[in-house]
Amino acid sequence: MFMQSENIPLFPEQASTFAWQVDYLFFYITAICLFFGLGVVLVVLAFAYKYKEQKKFASPRNIHGSLVLEFTWTAIPFVLAMSIFVLGTIVFHNLYSMPQDATEIFVVGKQWMWKFQHGTGQREINELHVPVGRKIKLTMTTEDVIHDVYIPAFRTKADVVPGRFTYLWFEATKPGKYRLFCAEYCGLNHSGMGGWVYVMEQKDFDSWLSGTDADKTPVQAGEDLFNNKLGCASCHAGGDTQRGAKLEGIFGKEVKLVGGNTAQRDEQYLRNSILNPGGQVVEGYQPIMPTFKGQVTEEQLVSLVAYIRSLSPDAASAPSTGSGNGTGTETESEDKAGDDQGDK
Amino acid sequence: MDNVETNNGGQQEQELNYLNNGHSVRSWLLTRDHKRIALLYVLSVSFFFLVGGIYAGLLRVELLTPQSDLFEAATYNRIFTAHGVIMIFLFLIPAIPATLGNFFVPLLIGAKDLAFPRINLLSWYLYMGGAGLAVWALMQGGVDTGWTFYAPYSTTFSNSYVVMTGLGAFVVGFSSILTGLNFIVTIHTMRAPGMTWFRLPLMIWSHYATSLIMILGTPVVAITIVLLALERIARVGIFDPSIGGDPILFQHLFWFYSHPAVYVMILPAMGVMSELVANFSRKRVFGYEFVAFSSIAIAVIGFLVWGHHLFVSGQSFYAGMVFSILTMIVAVPSAVKVFNWTATLYQGSLSFDTPMIYAYGFLGLFLVGGLTGLFLGTAGMDIHLSDTYFIVSHFHFVMVGGTVMGYLGGIHYWWSKMTGRHYSEFWGKISAMLVFIGFNLTFFPQFILGYLGMPRRYASYPEEFQVLNIFSTLGASVLGVGYGLPVIYLTYSFFFGKKADDNPWKLPGLEWRTSSPPPTENFKETPIVTWEAYDFSEDNGIEIERTPETEVQPSS
Amino acid sequence: MSEANIDHHHHPPGLQHQFEDMEQQQDSAIIGMWVFLAQEIMFFGGIFTAYLVFRYQYPMAFAAGSNHLDAFWGFVNTLVLIVSSLTMALAVLYAQRGNRNMQVAMIILTMLFGTAFLGVKAVEYKAKYDTGLIPVKGLNKVVKETDAEKKETASLLPFETKVSAAAEETGDKKKAYINPKGEFQWNYGEELVELGEKEGMLTEAEKIGYYSNGKIDPSKFRDKVQIFYWLYFAMTGLHALHMVVGLIIMTWLLIMAWRSTYSAEYYAPVEVAGLYWHFVDIVWIFLFPLLYLLGRHFIAGGGGH
Repeated sequence: MFMQSENIPLFPEQASTFAWQVDYLFFYITAICLFFGLGVVLVVLAFAYKYKEQKKFASPRNIHGSLVLEFTWTAIPFVLAMSIFVLGTIVFHNLYSMPQDATEIFVVGKQWMWKFQHGTGQREINELHVPVGRKIKLTMTTEDVIHDVYIPAFRTKADVVPGRFTYLWFEATKPGKYRLFCAEYCGLNHSGMGGWVYVMEQKDFDSWLSGTDADKTPVQAGEDLFNNKLGCASCHAGGDTQRGAKLEGIFGKEVKLVGGNTAQRDEQYLRNSILNPGGQVVEGYQPIMPTFKGQVTEEQLVSLVAYIRSLSPDAASAPSTGSGNGTGTETESEDKAGDDQGDK
Repeated sequence: MDNVETNNGGQQEQELNYLNNGHSVRSWLLTRDHKRIALLYVLSVSFFFLVGGIYAGLLRVELLTPQSDLFEAATYNRIFTAHGVIMIFLFLIPAIPATLGNFFVPLLIGAKDLAFPRINLLSWYLYMGGAGLAVWALMQGGVDTGWTFYAPYSTTFSNSYVVMTGLGAFVVGFSSILTGLNFIVTIHTMRAPGMTWFRLPLMIWSHYATSLIMILGTPVVAITIVLLALERIARVGIFDPSIGGDPILFQHLFWFYSHPAVYVMILPAMGVMSELVANFSRKRVFGYEFVAFSSIAIAVIGFLVWGHHLFVSGQSFYAGMVFSILTMIVAVPSAVKVFNWTATLYQGSLSFDTPMIYAYGFLGLFLVGGLTGLFLGTAGMDIHLSDTYFIVSHFHFVMVGGTVMGYLGGIHYWWSKMTGRHYSEFWGKISAMLVFIGFNLTFFPQFILGYLGMPRRYASYPEEFQVLNIFSTLGASVLGVGYGLPVIYLTYSFFFGKKADDNPWKLPGLEWRTSSPPPTENFKETPIVTWEAYDFSEDNGIEIERTPETEVQPSS
Repeated sequence: MSEANIDHHHHPPGLQHQFEDMEQQQDSAIIGMWVFLAQEIMFFGGIFTAYLVFRYQYPMAFAAGSNHLDAFWGFVNTLVLIVSSLTMALAVLYAQRGNRNMQVAMIILTMLFGTAFLGVKAVEYKAKYDTGLIPVKGLNKVVKETDAEKKETASLLPFETKVSAAAEETGDKKKAYINPKGEFQWNYGEELVELGEKEGMLTEAEKIGYYSNGKIDPSKFRDKVQIFYWLYFAMTGLHALHMVVGLIIMTWLLIMAWRSTYSAEYYAPVEVAGLYWHFVDIVWIFLFPLLYLLGRHFIAGGGGH
């Protein structure tokens, strides 16, 4: 959905095999609603005009009711409602029953990122690449609370429930970039828990699978990884209430670790913290960061470290002055720990 | 036994009525008079409507821009939770039953009071106690779970005042149970001689249906909250799967009450609506029995549809199917009501006084709210729409468009009876129209947003949704003015308004056959009812003056 | 139709101002209590639903948990409550007949039975406390390692069935009982799950819920038993709370009866209190088989018959 911001979309794009089904269902129900809604409104307006009181406190003729009318306007809505039910259930069935021949992709939701793993082993975060015209089945679970995968352009969504697997399938019909949302409220950064679904031609998808990244500088590539692909930003760039440390201006400084040791924040430190976050926890933080071992390639690690280093432009010269170019003052106070996540 | 004019005409200025029968604070706070308790409720419920409205305003202002720039996401989450909790538990559920219902159920059936006046007072104290707990939790920092308290977020992950707020909802729930209990017993045993079931005004039928839901639904959510709180405190798994529980069980138990709770909100408004339509068309409601039984049908079937909140939660296909068909069926009685109200207008003598403007508004908004419910009850459709702004808009149309219109319409309709004074008809009409226009402007764009796929409870959203959100916020400001005006002119009227007749509209209901405001015992003599409901014929026992020149309402 | 409101001067004692006559007042009181009880049914209904859902998913863990409840005391309590219902019904009867002395006697008897019930409940709760079956960390008796020698084992209560034949054979039961943090203790289960697996009796939920990486995981089994105990305490606790409220009502009733308040014309409070008392009894009649009896047979018999 390449929506420019100056456009005001009024109808969502159709990009899956059942998008049109849902849309036709929508039009059908809308037609029924308009029929009844406009009908009643017009009749009320006509009555209001015609029977406007001529005289205060007149007593018009009393009408008790009409059995024929009552049954008519019970039966007609009932029949129409049943027709909606039948059509809706057919669509529901199409959405609900998983095809046997679908390509399976595993999805793990966690506060507040989506992790995908393809059958071929590729992992993605907050981005999902799928080929066009092939049935895809998402097998989903979550590490913490209930989330919900929602791709409006595909007209489908499903809750992702801890402790069990839920499923969702689709077959994309049009290459493009479509929004992915979390639709079940999941806490602090719920609205940030989303990303993009890239639908590609089979050929492009294959070359994506073989894994050549675009030609960006390491810092740009790292920024992209940080903000989008790996979702680091959901914890490390969230303003006052973020769970992870703010990374602006930290590079090159000494830091106190849990247990009393100190460490120099150099490239090696950053690398270790990404791969083995529990190893060097900064005082005042909870060891909640997941490991990214196996999810980042060496190449990506280099880019990430380059990007984080770029957040501290004055690091090389004077590591001891206050905060760097961060948006706020850097205070790694105790109360940050578990700010949003009491018991976990 | 035809003529039971207990008293008529406003000449008894000095007579003791329920308002001037004791002026001390104690005489109000320890009153057992249902009318005084109703006024206490009017004050407290309106206060919380104001508070909830301020939260709504904050939300709309934040949503002017796609980024979360006015508040942090954490603050936004707490605000929408506070908005939901306050509006639902502290305003919408008690809005009509505890105020208008409390005041008029005994009056409409010719009783001296509710069956259990002490329990009635207790229920107000429970309401205030529960509200106090919720407000206390709010001041400590609030809750960020959404009013639905979904587990395991609420039981394990949220670091906010879930238990305190839940306890507040629990206590308020018992206030609602006691109100329902009082109504059921009162309607069964306290009807005036001659007031048979089918002579009851439809307001009573709808309150009876509402009470059934309060009695049978509220306890389930109460026990659910207890389990939730205990799980949060003691860490034993009922709902959290990491310790063996089942999060979907929570949703079933929660919606078993919380869906019927929607009918607790809308049914009384439908009752008010029946009163308004009949009395301002000066005709009996068309198909009285069908309107009456549709209330009961809604209450009964309403208990069987909760699963339509779980279409995307991973319940089985067949469960989804069953809940979908039941949801379709529950739409029918609502449709029947709307058709009967419309038919009542036929050949009536339709007035355009403020209460009736609210009734027309109710009809329009409830139509939209009810019909959009069809989309959401259709399983295949709901997959796309659930948890988007479509749903937000739908339930605001029903619960705000329906219930609040009914509440305001009822307040205006019975204002002269409750206070013995007239409000400004001019400002009444202005505010009714502002509410209608502002409401549509606020919530119509949200249907489009929802179909486009904007999820609810988002502090920040993609840029392409901004324009529609700006429209919505603009509408909300109009709506805010529309809701604010009545507070001002009604308060003015309470103290300085023109004195009202006992029966300014010459209506046949029992409540119009006693003085305005009514005496503490409601009626000087127990009335004996010999007429059908809404009987405007000549010999119905009320003198109908045929003097069209009589100006009943000051026009400014 | 109008007789009711013709004479206003006759105003019997105990008639409240909002009612026209005693009959109306009595009807209101009784309908009011029935409506209240309907509410109570839904209140207990919510927690019964939770019980049914989990029982359906994890019958094995629930049977195991149930097996450690003391069915003897449960049975005694059932008898106590049934008899108390009888005395309560008699109290209503004597109130209707205006027999003050018998009425007082019956109310006292009812209260005695009610207290006895709570006493037995306390004994049972104490046993759970001693053996680490309270599902909340820190609420169980703390038994340090140094105290452990004195106690041989997490001893079974006198009337409990043995856990299972399998458990006895392994000889594990002689393990010293320690509980330094007052946690929920549950050391049985593996044999049971194996047995259930062999007999092909595990539900789908159990096949996932008791295993980690394809192996039986005792701690996951323990979690499910813990849910049973959690529901046991929530349900019986809620019921006991209703008993306490019942006893308070009875105390008030006793005082009123002592003052000869009730007569053939005015006995609604006794009848209404009676309705409440019977309801609380009936809840127990459901609780007893659900918690104490269901599934005992499977484990006691050691096989699925």
